[in-house]
Amino acid sequence: MKAAVNQKLTEMGERDRLKELLRAKLTECGWKDQMKAHCKEVIKQKGLEHVTVEDLVVEITPKGRALVPDSVKKELLHRIRAFLAQHTNNLEY
Amino acid sequence: MSPAGCSHVNGYKVDNWKQNLRVIYQCFVWSGTAETRRRKAKSCICHICGAHLNRLHSCLYCVFFGCFTKKHIHEHAKNKRHNLAIDLLYGGIYCFVCQDYIYDKDMEQIAKEEQRKAWKLQGIASCIGEKYTTWEPTKRELELLRHNPKRRKITTNCTIGLRGLINLGNTCFMNCIVQALTHTPLLRDFFLSDRHKCEMQSNSCLVCEMSQLFQEFYSGHRSPHIPFRLLHLVWTHARHLAGYEQQDAHEFLIAALDVLHRHCKGDTINDNGKKANNPNHCNCIIDQIFTGGLQSDVTCQVCHGVSTTIDPFWDISLDLPGSSTPFWPLSPGGDGSTVNGESHLSGSTTLTDCLRRFTRPEHLGSSAKIKCGSCHSYQESTKQLTMKKLPIVACFHLKRFEHSAKLRRKITTYVSFPLELDMTPFMASSKESRMNGQYQQSVDVLNNDNKYSLFAVVNHQGTLESGHYTSFIRQHKDQWFKCDDAIITKASIKDVLDSEGYLLFYHKQFLEYE
Repeated sequence: MKAAVNQKLTEMGERDRLKELLRAKLTECGWKDQMKAHCKEVIKQKGLEHVTVEDLVVEITPKGRALVPDSVKKELLHRIRAFLAQHTNNLEY
Repeated sequence: MSPAGCSHVNGYKVDNWKQNLRVIYQCFVWSGTAETRRRKAKSCICHICGAHLNRLHSCLYCVFFGCFTKKHIHEHAKNKRHNLAIDLLYGGIYCFVCQDYIYDKDMEQIAKEEQRKAWKLQGIASCIGEKYTTWEPTKRELELLRHNPKRRKITTNCTIGLRGLINLGNTCFMNCIVQALTHTPLLRDFFLSDRHKCEMQSNSCLVCEMSQLFQEFYSGHRSPHIPFRLLHLVWTHARHLAGYEQQDAHEFLIAALDVLHRHCKGDTINDNGKKANNPNHCNCIIDQIFTGGLQSDVTCQVCHGVSTTIDPFWDISLDLPGSSTPFWPLSPGGDGSTVNGESHLSGSTTLTDCLRRFTRPEHLGSSAKIKCGSCHSYQESTKQLTMKKLPIVACFHLKRFEHSAKLRRKITTYVSFPLELDMTPFMASSKESRMNGQYQQSVDVLNNDNKYSLFAVVNHQGTLESGHYTSFIRQHKDQWFKCDDAIITKASIKDVLDSEGYLLFYHKQFLEYE
């Protein structure tokens, strides 16, 4: 079911629009800046020459997931639900 | 992680690699067209486990998609010795030999171009302006930075930008306007980034003097500044304000904006890159920040034809109750009375009340008939003012000084004003939707265009004959300071909102690109 939903979202360009909406919301509420600051800390710890993107991903993913405000989660969920409600007829399970 | 790319991409950069890479970006990373999106939706799944999440990557050497998280792409890289892959979510290039994402200049260039193209096709809002890129210093800038190693750190409670002003003899009217202007964020940014290119030969450019003033205010000096040069220039360019008597701060504001606007000629460039010499279509910083458009609709009572004009404005002058002009006392229970969260003690007037009165339809009596274009005769009509275009900084002038033929007095009625103001009900567009029968204005949460925040208040204490001006200005998000000539003291939000209010400065909360 997840795959079908994803397919529909991608096809209609809704996925990209949702991505942009999410990007804007997370910047507005300061999440992006918090994550940036955390990244800098990780880089300081590991050393600029040795740190890899993978290191950063591992370090900041849990914190990033936890720090997303509920209001943002609610809004996106609402958008996705509304979109699916509109297009359920075409969805093949 | 090296900023210079890696040597392993050289194996990839052969034959028609640029075009191949573009195709990969267009089809699988940033799909701009419906067709590519359909293809992406169908084919972008892991060839090993079928998942579409898990940081899917595409091999750059062959048609293979694999999860990064589950290491499926890593397996493929090892087996086939294809050591480059691209992240389908963000377009980053991963090198399996270096075991990290690499940043190759040529590839980055292609990525940027393809992303822009896709965004344009999709009409995504973020492509209107330039996408944010980090700042790379030039050689000259590096030189300057090395020669000037002293850095100023702005913390949340630092007081840089605050400075007292010596009173040079009843010049408090000028001092409080200077305080308001030096704390207007966009104006501050304009001057601190040195954007004024002076074209005046003499030393009498007011914009240059403002620039100097900003340097003084943000220098970190805590002693009061003596603005004698500014005063002299104002006397030179606005003769009616010269002299040592007390002047009206509002008049000074308008005169100052006018002179600054005139002296900004060197900074206005229109679309063709030529210097704009039309005073009505100026694009100087003063116009960009302070100029709004006021729409005046005159409706003929006979044929209901509407004649519309739009005039530019720098401030909105509002009549107050108790003046000799008739004021409609709007009942506290009226709609929108708590729209802006103002304290509405029974009977007290709010800024919103004044704005509602300002934008109400006014019946022009039989002694003021207007010639109607469609009726071709003089008819009675109604006139209504609304905001066509809001400026970035809105200045409200409460008309406390009455200079009618009979009396000269100061109206001290308390008018409460809010910290945050929504101008939507007073817009020309709102009026149009009301007229089209859409009475219930659905509160559009996403439309932040008309929301304003208070950042400066100028107050007058005393009488018409002898009085004193002071101002409150806002630093950072919610720190207020009282500026009484040379004395700056910390103030509370309550102090600000309880004050009488003469000039109120509001700043747009959200700034959009043009």
